[in-house]
This record gives sequence, C-alpha cells and structure tokens, in this order.
Amino acid sequence: MQTNDNEIIIQTHDLKKLYQMGSETIYALAGVDMKIRRNEYIAIMGPSGSGKSTLMNLIGCLDTPTEGEYILNGKPVQGLDDDELARIRNREIGFVFQTFNLLPRASALHNVELPLIYAGVPSRERQKRARNALARVDLADRTHHKPNELSGGQRQRVAIARALVNDPSILLADEPTGNLDSKTSAEIMSVFDELHATGQTIIVVTHEPHIVKHAHRVVTLRDGLIESHNARADGLLAGV
Amino acid sequence: MYVFEGVWIALQQVWAHKLKSAFTLVGVTIGITFLIAVITVVEGMNRYVQDDFAGSLFGVNTFTVVRRSRISTGSETEERRRRQARNPHLTLRDVEVVRSAVPDAWRFAYNDDRGFDEVTYKDRRRRNIRLIGGSDGYETLQGWKIEDGRGLTPLDERRSLKVAVIGADIAEKLFTDVSPVGKQIRLGAHRFDVVGVWERQGGLLGVIRDASVLVPFSVYRQTFARNPSYVGEISVKMHSLEEMTAAQITVEGAMRTDRELRPGEENNFWIQTSSELLETWEKISRILFAAVPGLVSISLVVGGIVIMNIMLLSVAGRIREIGIRKAVGARRRDILIQFLAESSTLSIIGAAIGILLGIGIAMVVERFTVMPASVPPWAIATGLTLGLVVGVGSGLYPAYRAAKQDPIVALRSE
Repeated sequence: MQTNDNEIIIQTHDLKKLYQMGSETIYALAGVDMKIRRNEYIAIMGPSGSGKSTLMNLIGCLDTPTEGEYILNGKPVQGLDDDELARIRNREIGFVFQTFNLLPRASALHNVELPLIYAGVPSRERQKRARNALARVDLADRTHHKPNELSGGQRQRVAIARALVNDPSILLADEPTGNLDSKTSAEIMSVFDELHATGQTIIVVTHEPHIVKHAHRVVTLRDGLIESHNARADGLLAGV
Repeated sequence: MYVFEGVWIALQQVWAHKLKSAFTLVGVTIGITFLIAVITVVEGMNRYVQDDFAGSLFGVNTFTVVRRSRISTGSETEERRRRQARNPHLTLRDVEVVRSAVPDAWRFAYNDDRGFDEVTYKDRRRRNIRLIGGSDGYETLQGWKIEDGRGLTPLDERRSLKVAVIGADIAEKLFTDVSPVGKQIRLGAHRFDVVGVWERQGGLLGVIRDASVLVPFSVYRQTFARNPSYVGEISVKMHSLEEMTAAQITVEGAMRTDRELRPGEENNFWIQTSSELLETWEKISRILFAAVPGLVSISLVVGGIVIMNIMLLSVAGRIREIGIRKAVGARRRDILIQFLAESSTLSIIGAAIGILLGIGIAMVVERFTVMPASVPPWAIATGLTLGLVVGVGSGLYPAYRAAKQDPIVALRSE
C-alpha cells in the first residue's frame, strides 16, 4: 500500500454523459467535477435518475464520457477503446455489485481468480493470490464452494475478494448491501472498514443512510450534477 | 488461459447436459464416423487388394482364359453381359489350343471347380466346401504351398488316382490330433486318400483356398463334372509382364482361329488378368473416395449449424456472465477466444466420438466379414482437424456476438 494519502487518484473535469432520446438530448451527467484522494472512503448518494449509476459506470471505466475529462491514477481515460478500458478495469478497478455477480458454476476460488486470468497471471501464482484474497475476507475455508452453496454475506465477501485480488486503485461498490439483511450488511460494511484501514480507496454508491455513516465524505448527486460535497459531520476528513 | 477456460466450460456443459450434448454433437459425430469407417475399410481393402489379393488369386504375370468375365466392372452393358452368357464352354480342345499357342509358358494349368456339400472323415464333417479338379501344376501356378504331405503329380492325373489335397480349414475340422496325410476322406459316395495339406492362407482369400479340396482333373471330370468335356479356367503364367502381354495376344489369336471367329466379331471367351481386377478395384475405391467428401461435408455442415445454434443459445443465456467477465477485465478477444474454444471443444468431442465409432465399425467389419480394415493415422488427424474447423467455423458468429456485448447492458441482464 502506498502511504501518500494526498495523492489524487481520481479527477474529473466537467464530465458529461448525454443520451439521445429521439429529438431530445438527456444529460445523465451534466458536468461533474470531483477529486478523490488515495485512501478516501466516499459515498455517492442521490435519488434514482440522479446520475449515480452513470457516474459509477464512468468511474469504473465500463463506459466513456461524452464530454469532459477523467483522469485515473494520473492517466486520462476519456477516448480509450474497449480493450484499453478492459485493461484498466482489470488493473485499477475492483467492482462489488448489489447482486454479487459471481459466476454461478465456478467455485469461490475460481471466481476470485478471474481478474488474474485476464491479467495473464500464471496458474500457480493466481491460486496463491486468490487464496490470500479469500483469507482477507475470512473465507479461507470456502474456496471450493460454489456460489449457491454460500450465504448472501459469504457471496458478497467472495465478490469483495475478487475485487481486491488484483490490488486495484479503487474499490467501487454499487449498493453492496442492497440484497442483504441488516446483520449481514453490518458484517460487509465492517469488511470495507477493515480494507479502508489497510489503505484501500473505496467508493460506495448507495442510498442507505447507515452505509453513508461509514464513509468519510458524501457526494450527493441530483439531476446529473453534484449537489453537495459533505465531509462527515464528525469531520474526520476534509472535503475537497 | 481463456482457451482452457473455454475448454473447461465446454466439458462441464457436455457433462451437465448429456442428452442435449448428444443431440448437439450427433451431426459432427455421424460425419466423422462415416469418414473414418469408409477410409478405414477402403484403405484396408486397398492394401489387401494390392498386397495379397490380386497377386495370390491370379498370380503375378498370369492370365486366365475363361468362358466369361467373372468380375463385374460395372461398365459393361447389359447386352454384352447377355452375349457373354451365350459363349460356349471351354473344353479340353481349348486347353490344347492354348497349350500349343504358348509352348514357352513358365507354368500352364487348367481346372474346373464347383461348390460341394460336405467332406467327411469318419463321423466328422465340413460343410460348404469348394471342390477343385486341377491339372498337375495347378497348385504351383496358384502359388499354393504344401505344409504337410505332397501336392498332385502328373502320375495322379494320368492314372486318375483318387487322391486329394485339402485346405487348412478342412484339415482342422476333420482331423484334430492326427495328420490328415494317408487318411481316407469321403466326397459324396467317393473315397479319396489325402496326400497333402496346404499352408493356411487366412483372410479374404482363405475362403477359397482354406476350404478347398483339390483332386486330379481327370478324376474330377469323370466323377463330379456336370459335363466331362467342360473346363473352367486355363491359366498361363509367364516370366515377365512383357512376355505375358505377348502371350495373351498369341492365345487370343489362337483361340479366335480355332473357333473360326470372323474379323470384327467379338471374342466368345474372356481373358482375365490381375491388372483387370486391380483396375476394377481402383475404380470402386475412386468412386467411394469421391463420394466421401460430399457426404461428409453435408453432415459436417449440418453438425456445424446445430453447434452454432447451441452456441447462440449458450451466449444468450450467459450475457450476464459475459458482463461479469468484461467488468473484471476480459477484452473482446478474450471472450471471443473463450467461446471459440467452447464450440471447438464441443465439435472435437463430436469428432473424437466419431473417430472411435468409425474405428469400432471398422473393427466389427473386420471381425464379422472377411473384409480387412486398417485405420491410417492420417484419417484420425483428418477427423480431428475437421472437428476443429467445424468448431471454429460454427463458433465464429456466436463468439462475435458474445464479444461485442456492452458490459453495462450485459451486467444488467437477467
């Protein structure tokens, strides 16, 4: 883990995403400026239709902006082609989804290995790193279980292990507790807290207030624009 | 890496959906089975015909005068067949005509033969045998070697001795632990002393030699022939192909003169050579080999279409998986390779099953018929290559569809 906490890892400038609906142009994002530093723990909030998902897709390099700049880890991302985006997703981004998105027929270990496969890591090292990642989320004894043999919380921890295995610059979680009961949610959020404590940069997209409490900074979106940047009330970390 | 992934997924899917997989693969399997079976049998026959059959049935540099062609080349007209059926029988007079036409023949022999119900020794019997009446020199000309005892001699012929040389199958059936030589066998109402046993020939030709009884021609015509003056075949063996060709022309001329055929009139006899047989076989195998690619490719195309459909279904059912893979860093070509590997694995499994079935069929053919079979390695290589080609070909479109999925849309799909 790098120790330079002030290093800016994500910077966007006037980020816009437009959709053409017939003759009407819809601004899913209407110009977003934000900076995220290493080891920040950020919650992105907003009502549905506010542009949360679009922003997450752009930050996660699943999509490219129509206009504006996005600099990830010092490198501009806008204008890259599919394969270059895939490479960035592979190396820089770790996704955690609401619906876990594990491969149903593959074991926990194989699911965690997946990003390493596409990174071209040789089999032996891949397995070692995948086991380590599973151990970090307390699933060392579940490596050969299939997703349907695991509880919801365990599945989400497998997904977190998969997100971590390639040492990404950011962990990007989209409603990570949306499909979990409150006890399991708390368990997952404590996993995030631990990861953050070891230096991981985390972005959580959510609408649940109790999740927001874990974050140090809350970005609220409305109508494709940032409505507010709030440092948490207790002011652990200053906003940008 | 993703190749293994694709192969592994394909294997899992085949295992998980055995019945569906069987239907998926049946087209490719049938195509390759057919390919291998035909190649194997034709190759086996080829080798056999070239190595053994032609040489040992007719002998090298040998030609045989017969009443009409025994080999149907398929190119004869019905009319010609009917005309040949009116040819007069060969007689001992023809034997003398041929003998005096080629006084320098290396070997000369004549014979007649017929099927015979059974041969018995005491209470043992062998049914459905071939009874041959041969002039002395017949065995030598045929290249049949004696294993026990002796062959027929001019003396047997001249004195019309009731002696017989028997094939290995008959010897085995009638005499289990005694030597047949010197024992008396019965052919119908007649008793014959066994003077010799031939070496076993085995294989396709074994049907002829190993189940035959040879008696002197003079005895045969007096005892068994339908008409005592008929002769079945007159054979001439020369030292070389050139000599044979020349002798053949001489014999043809002598026969025509003796039978007073006018110029332009067709022969009312037939001269048979081993090259005639080889040509016929070559024609048959050419036809078989020409038909194979067409039939095989029809079934492979059908098989490929089935696989393509299954792959399209598979892609449609796994859009979310594709989304997940893309989210964690799979590039287009990774997805493409994965699905190509999957379709190729399916197809190669189909081909491999086809190869095994084809070899199985060939083995069954070899076991239960007299047709020999041999599996050439290039046939297996061809089968697997075709499997790969069909797999890649049928997988291209589905794999392309998979690879161009938008990860955001794919992740949202159910």
